[in-house]
Amino acid sequence: MMSNTDDIRWVTQVALLGDKNAFDKLTCKYQSSIRRFFLNLTMGDGPLSDDLAQETFIKVYLNISAFKGISGFSTWLYRIAYNVFYDSTRAQKHYDDIDEQVIDNQHHALNEFSAEKMDIHKALKILRKEEQTAVLLFYMEDKTHKEIARIMNCPLGTVKTYILKGKEKLSVYLTKAGYGNN
Amino acid sequence: METTNNTDKMLKGFFSEQKQEIPDNGFSEKVIRKLPEQADHSWIVWIFAALGMVISIYLGITLGLVQHVLTVVQHVPYYYLLAVVFWFPLVGSGVIYFIQKKHYQLI
Repeated sequence: MMSNTDDIRWVTQVALLGDKNAFDKLTCKYQSSIRRFFLNLTMGDGPLSDDLAQETFIKVYLNISAFKGISGFSTWLYRIAYNVFYDSTRAQKHYDDIDEQVIDNQHHALNEFSAEKMDIHKALKILRKEEQTAVLLFYMEDKTHKEIARIMNCPLGTVKTYILKGKEKLSVYLTKAGYGNN
Repeated sequence: METTNNTDKMLKGFFSEQKQEIPDNGFSEKVIRKLPEQADHSWIVWIFAALGMVISIYLGITLGLVQHVLTVVQHVPYYYLLAVVFWFPLVGSGVIYFIQKKHYQLI
């Protein structure tokens, strides 16, 4: 079981010595959660989410000396991932024009590991971008309200509102879809 | 209140069903290959350390500091020296403990 102490040790090795082996350990530990986070934010676009994840880890490597340790490394990593995602959406205006069918096909072709789990993306599409992020971080990535506020750089009350609104919308959607009736 | 709890349970159940571990499949390796090379500036530390040592040795010899320290040590009762030696690890571990405690609180 790898702990936060391991994270701090590896971060120190990377920051002081530029140790790529230590950075490799950090990448191996967090690649799954960061790629899953992007995969859900991009509504299942595997190649794009991998590109964004790669950009995130490179930014982390280049700015690791800026990590103060006030929040956990994981929170800091998600903060960078969140910024990378929103910079990308602002730059490309990509997500307004997403064709659901194209993504679905792409998903089946390139991302076999998640091809059967498209319901979550349909459900997430009814939420606003900020609500999607907050709900994903809370329910999928098990982050606390306080950590989400740090990641999204907004007040705690705002995060609670995002989660509450997201929860209400998803609850209605899932009930209508018959989820939980079986 | 009960409705909120039920909604929470339903959403937790839904998201945990959808949660998937993504296999690495060479992703980490690709990231490591794309990392830029960073210049090694550790030589600066060695230059300053060497410079500091040369200056302190020079001052120690020319100002008679080494002889002065040796004279003081010769006149100090041996149990004072022993006390210092025995206290050093205790004080050192105390300092490390407090630094680490602070460190973990920050995490």
